[in-house]
Amino acid sequence: MRVSTVWMQQQSLNTMLDRQSNIATLNQQLSTGKRITQPSDDPVGAARALDLGHQIADTAQYQRNITAANARLSLEDQSLGNVTNVLQRVRTLVLQAVNGSQSDATRGDIAAELVQLRQQLLGQANSQDSQGEYIYAGNRTGSAPFATQGATTYMGDEGQRMVAAGAGLQVATGDPGSAVFANIPTGNGTFTVSAGATNAGSVVAGATSVSDPSASPSAWDGGGYSIVFTAADAYEVRDAGNVVVDTGSYDPAHGGTITFRGAQLALTGTPVAGDSLAIAPSTNQDVFSTLQNLVTTLQMPNGGGADMQNAMNAQLMNLDQAMGNVTRTRGLVGARMNTLDQQQGLNNDLTLQYKSSLSDVQDVNYYDAVSQLNAQTTALQAAQLTFSKMQTSKLFDYLR
Amino acid sequence: MADMLSTGVSGLLAAQVGMGTVSHNVANVNTAGYSRQLVSFGARAPEWQGGFYIGTGVDTMAVQRAYSQFLNNSLWSAAAGQGRADTMASLTTQINSQVSGSTNLQTALDSFYGAVQDMANAPADAASRQAVLARAGALASTFTSLSGQFSQLAGQVKQQLGETVDSINSDSAAIAKLNGLIRTAAGNNGMPPADLLDQRDALVKKLAGEVGISVVPQTDNTLNIYVGNGQALVTNAEAHALGTAPNQYDATRVDIVGSGGSVISGRIGGGTLGALLDFRGNVLDPAQTQLGRAAQAMAATFNAQQAQGADLQGAIGGPMFSVAGPVVQAASGNGGSGTLDATITDLGTLTGKDYVLRYDGSAWALQDTSGASVAMTGTGTAGDPFRAAGLSLVVGGAAAPGDSFRVQPSRNAASSFAVVMSDPNKVAAAAPLTVSPASTNSGAAIPGFGVADGSNPAFFSPSSVVFSSPTSYSIDGGPAQVYTPGTPITHNGWSLKLDGAPAAGDAFSIAANTNARGDNSNALALGKVANQGVLDGGATNVGRAYSQMVTQIGSAGAVASADQTTQQAVFNQAMTAQQSVSGVNLDEEAANLVRYQQAYQASAQVISTASTLFQSLLTAVQSV
Repeated sequence: MRVSTVWMQQQSLNTMLDRQSNIATLNQQLSTGKRITQPSDDPVGAARALDLGHQIADTAQYQRNITAANARLSLEDQSLGNVTNVLQRVRTLVLQAVNGSQSDATRGDIAAELVQLRQQLLGQANSQDSQGEYIYAGNRTGSAPFATQGATTYMGDEGQRMVAAGAGLQVATGDPGSAVFANIPTGNGTFTVSAGATNAGSVVAGATSVSDPSASPSAWDGGGYSIVFTAADAYEVRDAGNVVVDTGSYDPAHGGTITFRGAQLALTGTPVAGDSLAIAPSTNQDVFSTLQNLVTTLQMPNGGGADMQNAMNAQLMNLDQAMGNVTRTRGLVGARMNTLDQQQGLNNDLTLQYKSSLSDVQDVNYYDAVSQLNAQTTALQAAQLTFSKMQTSKLFDYLR
Repeated sequence: MADMLSTGVSGLLAAQVGMGTVSHNVANVNTAGYSRQLVSFGARAPEWQGGFYIGTGVDTMAVQRAYSQFLNNSLWSAAAGQGRADTMASLTTQINSQVSGSTNLQTALDSFYGAVQDMANAPADAASRQAVLARAGALASTFTSLSGQFSQLAGQVKQQLGETVDSINSDSAAIAKLNGLIRTAAGNNGMPPADLLDQRDALVKKLAGEVGISVVPQTDNTLNIYVGNGQALVTNAEAHALGTAPNQYDATRVDIVGSGGSVISGRIGGGTLGALLDFRGNVLDPAQTQLGRAAQAMAATFNAQQAQGADLQGAIGGPMFSVAGPVVQAASGNGGSGTLDATITDLGTLTGKDYVLRYDGSAWALQDTSGASVAMTGTGTAGDPFRAAGLSLVVGGAAAPGDSFRVQPSRNAASSFAVVMSDPNKVAAAAPLTVSPASTNSGAAIPGFGVADGSNPAFFSPSSVVFSSPTSYSIDGGPAQVYTPGTPITHNGWSLKLDGAPAAGDAFSIAANTNARGDNSNALALGKVANQGVLDGGATNVGRAYSQMVTQIGSAGAVASADQTTQQAVFNQAMTAQQSVSGVNLDEEAANLVRYQQAYQASAQVISTASTLFQSLLTAVQSV
């Protein structure tokens, strides 16, 4: 076939230009490390890279959220640890106070320390985080949840801040003060015992429990009852309508346990006929009131009698409920931190996986690119050589 | 001897013509569109002399260009393909580099939602609230900057359309002029002048690269050229200019019109002009629309979640973003006073298409821009609007038959995307109400609530819902109402949804969520909007809508680039074939030169011999 001289040169030139363009593309891929420098290089891959970038950003945000949540939970854990320490000191003091060797004066000293401890506890309940938010105020984090003077009504709400720790996983990062300090059931959690105000004997109620929730013939029903001693060694149990529902005998010398409707009361001391014990369903009492009640009881003049014993025992049970509540909350906090740790590990794995997928999609394969670059360079050199050879073989050159 | 002399002279002259043609070929070796010329010779008629026919020399029969109409036609068609592919590739490369740059919407979305989640971790913190607004501003400017780049490209396309039309008109005028010259020259000499034909062919090739054409040769050596489906561009020595005219719906946009004034934009294919129209209609417009859809989805979903929450002052959250709705444009030729109002009512069924609503004198009909009919429900009144494709259309005034409106649901949305919130405290991080189950509740119902109408004046009033039985409840001691499990209870603008069955005596109290600076429940929900599907029936979230746009643009670029390679190969092949016939080969010309030189020298030798013979004769006569 005939070839035209100019077109042959042009095609040879085009070949060189094409090679150079390929080399430029490879050069860009190698210097950026990216196989996709613009969407047209791989339209589906480009969209996939965007998607993976979004997943990576999402997961990184979850990790940030977990860090923030851990900070809040650590603060709460630390604060609850302090609360536990304070309550343990209170308990030690209360146990000292109920010791028979105490006088009004020493009880007054203990009461004074309890007042201090109560203030300390209030300080913990009104803890603020680094941003000045009250951590036990539910969602009303702008103001202190417990008043430091007067009645300690909870002024926060029941809100609980959640954090997004992963796709579909939200973890609470706080507890409202109501749940930690305020809504604590009195007594043994089911009922309370209080001695009649006119009791003349020395009967003191100790440990109580609902030992058998399915007792027959009739189980514990949550009602109010009274135990009335008809003699030092005999009692009646009356219900709220003053109807006798049970009777029994009591050994004043050794003390004993009264059981009715599945409820158990351990009693000591000697009652006098007409003495009574009131049994009422548990209500909620905040831990500050419990402390205040202890202080009030300890400051009673001519203390040390059965009336003080009964009152102290009742508040001690309330204190134990409060301690149990704090311990349970701390356990919850620990469980949440544990969940967050696990999710953090999971998020790390996911990030690694996303990043490796992203690299597969958009990063250049260096071995491949370098070998292509070599091939293209060789081809360019060949094209250049061909062109220069072509220029020297002209018939006109020989016709001289 | 006289015969020998004249025979020799004819040889000399023929060789001169040959050498002249070789010189012309060599001289034009670099002339674009030049076809090499060939000399054809013929023996002169012999003379009857002494019982024999004696040859009398050579005549130059013709100087013709080496030419194949078939190969030239293929070259023109390849040039049209190449012109289209080159323009398309260059435009799609531009739009691809725009979306591969730093203005990546997905990154902006991730930063924004990251700031929202940071705020969820510290809802009362002024700095984290401020960061949300700052990121929202960055997101808005990403939308507008991407849209601005697309608009700039559209402006460039518009300018190129005008320039291409000008170039087409000047080329067709030149072709028409050459048609006239060639016809005259061929009429005078009986032979068309090769060099003028070459010039005209080169222009036709250039024209084919600018717009797809069909070429019809006429018997008088002129070419008629048509564009589209039969719109004449050149007939005989007359050119018919194309023009640009404002679009009937959008005066800022140009259409291509024929010399008669009719719009032929839709019928043009091939060449630069075809590629420009193709790019505008099939790459740029869909990209702008898709980006607009993403902007509309972003604003609608985020604002809707804002309205479910309460800001730092406890008021119902206001909108954070604003975005334009559908663009309605009346046709410039509308005779009536009809108006059309379009709004988006359902993002889930919103399409990426544009629509034309036309009145035929008795009824309105909706078509998409490809001409396919779209079914509508409703009557078009404000109370019962036409509904189709996620749009609600209300017609007003008195339209004349034939009047039409174009509706572009999302075209301008991205450019209008803006942040309307300026006070960081207005970000609705908290829930507006609290719902508390009574402590004595014995049923399994867990309450959840939503805001149906936050503007209800009694919205924040406390209420209580008390169940007298699992299927009956009353609100604030009002009349008993039937409770259907799964159906929300609505009152005062809120809706209460119970998960699980309530028992008789259960009560739920609803109250304003006052002083809840630390509440992040709606902030968490705002953070989840990022992955909330809303478009395409809830299958596509904002980020996905953007990546779809990137895929569309990328595919257009990849196709254009592959097409360019293909068209380049087709063109090279056509050019090689055409050049194998018409191209100048210098070696060949060198050989021809030698050949004619030798023929010239030989003819000169013939004359010299004749002269010698004559001298011999004269000498013989003198000596007698």
